[in-house]
Amino acid sequence: MSVTPDLVADPKRAVRAARWAEFKIFTRRFMRNPLGVVGLVIVVLLLFCAAFAPLLATHDPYLPSLTDRLAAPSATYWLGADELGRDIYSRILYGSQLTLLIVGLVIVTSAPIGLIIGAVSGTVGGWVDVIFMRITDVFLAIPKLLLALAFVAALGPGITNAALAITLTAWPPYARLARAEALIVRNSDYVNAVRLAGASEFRIIVFHVIPMCLSSVIVRMTFDMAGIILTAAGLGFIGLGAQPPLPEWGAMISTGRKFIFDQWWVATVPGIAIFTVSLGFNLLGDALRDLLDPHLRQRK
Amino acid sequence: MLSIQHLNVEFSGKLAVRDTSFSVEPGESFGLVGESGSGKSTILRTVMGLNANWNGSISVDGLDVRKTPRKQLAKVVQMVFQDPYSSLHPRYVIGQQIAEPMKINGIANPERRTAELLELIGLGAKFQFRFPHELSGGQRQRVAIARALALNPKLLLLDEPTSALDVSIQAEILNLLNRLRKELGLTFVIVSHDLAVISYMCERLMVMRNAQPVETLTREQLRSGAIAEDYTKALIAAA
Amino acid sequence: MSALVEIENLRVAFRNDDGGYNDAVRGVSLTLGREKLGIVGESGSGKSLTGRALLGVLPPYARISVDTMAFDGIDLKSASPKLRRSLRGGRMGMILQDPKFSLNPVMTVGKQIVEAIRIGDRRISGSDARKKALGILEAVHIREPERVFSLYPHELSGGMGQRVMIGMMVVREPDLLIADEPTSALDVTVRTQVLSILDELVTRRGMGLIFISHDLNLVSKFCDRVIVMYAGRIVESIEASRLSEATHPYTRGLLSCLPQIDGSLEPLPVLNRDASWAGAA
Repeated sequence: MSVTPDLVADPKRAVRAARWAEFKIFTRRFMRNPLGVVGLVIVVLLLFCAAFAPLLATHDPYLPSLTDRLAAPSATYWLGADELGRDIYSRILYGSQLTLLIVGLVIVTSAPIGLIIGAVSGTVGGWVDVIFMRITDVFLAIPKLLLALAFVAALGPGITNAALAITLTAWPPYARLARAEALIVRNSDYVNAVRLAGASEFRIIVFHVIPMCLSSVIVRMTFDMAGIILTAAGLGFIGLGAQPPLPEWGAMISTGRKFIFDQWWVATVPGIAIFTVSLGFNLLGDALRDLLDPHLRQRK
Repeated sequence: MLSIQHLNVEFSGKLAVRDTSFSVEPGESFGLVGESGSGKSTILRTVMGLNANWNGSISVDGLDVRKTPRKQLAKVVQMVFQDPYSSLHPRYVIGQQIAEPMKINGIANPERRTAELLELIGLGAKFQFRFPHELSGGQRQRVAIARALALNPKLLLLDEPTSALDVSIQAEILNLLNRLRKELGLTFVIVSHDLAVISYMCERLMVMRNAQPVETLTREQLRSGAIAEDYTKALIAAA
Repeated sequence: MSALVEIENLRVAFRNDDGGYNDAVRGVSLTLGREKLGIVGESGSGKSLTGRALLGVLPPYARISVDTMAFDGIDLKSASPKLRRSLRGGRMGMILQDPKFSLNPVMTVGKQIVEAIRIGDRRISGSDARKKALGILEAVHIREPERVFSLYPHELSGGMGQRVMIGMMVVREPDLLIADEPTSALDVTVRTQVLSILDELVTRRGMGLIFISHDLNLVSKFCDRVIVMYAGRIVESIEASRLSEATHPYTRGLLSCLPQIDGSLEPLPVLNRDASWAGAA
């Protein structure tokens, strides 16, 4: 062939530029969903509070001040003080770091594990599929909180153990989701085309199947975050999650329970924090699903 | 180039292809015509190794498909799929998808060859960085052809290559295929339900019905009306 | 005699990602008597949207504007949703491309036809409805109507499913039938059968038919008049028998770019799309 085409100088950058253009289109469509934007704002607020807690806090979250026990919300204690006189506002701020830590730990471990197990299971099929799915079934059969409880009770209380316990219960849905996508994708023409070129199953799973599972997994992740926060709060409430004096929101509700009638702010404020953050993640997840879910999207 | 003897293929419980034999000479364009369920697409997919339950013999360029490793076969025969909207991976740019067969098989300088292929199919090198959803159906089908040609195969299997396309786009793609066959010396096996398309594209054709071959004839026979079977006559009348 | 359908200056637009609007149908005007009218165009020409706009089944995010849209003298433009709903199915019917997707997969065929009958006549008795359903199955030349009555859609072949669909739509004796690519998903041998049934029903019952298709040859053989659409506009309106005398370059291009069994083996003439065909925006 004598045709000499003009080769692009830096193909990798051009590909990245193409992907960036796609991302910008995605962002523009996302911005048209007002509830999704609200959810995003809440999540960003959470990240902001966690990042700048030391700057935003008015008091030391751990320092008790017994003279100000159960103080009502005032100019000094913006959201009141708890049973040891610690400023609730500051504890909420520092607690956001813990919330993010737990959510982050769980998501970063459970989603990839579930994704890989599901993608391999769905693509390869056969006895691999059977074994993986039966293991998944076992984990799915037990109620999540109960299983997390059992693990934490066995491993001992503490925030990292709580995160680990929640991870062990959180991965199965991702496996199921990824497997469902993989079953569809593995027989599609574009995968067959690459198979015909001699691609190994490994290459197909990593580069072709998994990218197609990502949309569903990402959507699920945002919904899961709300659930994880609630489970962690639940564990904290029972005393098996974060241990005192850590300002974990669930633990704060637990201790505030005793004063709920007269000093309602001790339990209610962390409750509102949990509610708002869960709501934020749910709204974000809803908007993302409307944009990403391959089943809802129109065929172009 | 392609020799099929007494092929029987079982697909989801029933016999999709029954005792079918035919052969294709190098440089020839051979057509498989029939209605849905006749087994024509199944034959192509079996040659490419996408169906496992078959018996009989299939040999491509002298290679027995059962005994030849996939990568070696890939350099001799490739396939273009029917639906341009699902034969390209939605998440990768065109250039990456055309280059992938070359990368898998360790061919040097895939970027250069990708650009050459894009010029060859009439799209131009700047299409490398577009995503499939940015292209029309006709453009996508061209990309699918480019990808099939990436490994320089001698035999191209085309499964209803223009059925999903508008009539005016079909004309462009058929012209392109004919040009490529002449320029690159390719052998084609084309499957279609459209007798007019097959008659235009192929020198010889085989009519299939209900998993079995009905008759094999040349283009001249088709045009002159020297047809043995009534079913074939019915197909012509309905075309 | 007033025309059955009268449309003047129909415009349909959809929102795109930038917030602007994409015009899909741009100023289409047509009239229909009790005849067979074919609307031909490629994908994106707006032919299906025109049919759906007439029926009133466009998605809510579509923006429609029209000067006149009347059915048998009834002004559809200002008609209430209730009136439009009562017209749909009763006096205006629509057949879609793939019976697999337009028949309810979890109900038997017979039940669906009975349901269609019941929507029109709430007081009809169960056995009368069943008799009427069996009657329509016979009218579409289904050989064992009793057996087919209790089959599910996935148990039917493509041709049978499409005939059931036609039956369901004509059982209430509509005045207008819109067929959107009714034979595109069918094999060629079945196609002729289904078309002849459609022809029989239309002529016998005096219905008006709008036949939407991408297949110019098919439409020219089947319909009385042909309208060719391109980029949302009508570029040609001609009697089917005189199609070979068509003047617009797009129509001529469509006619000549098809391979023929006894045609030339030279490279097929390719359509060179002229921007002027799309006209002013």
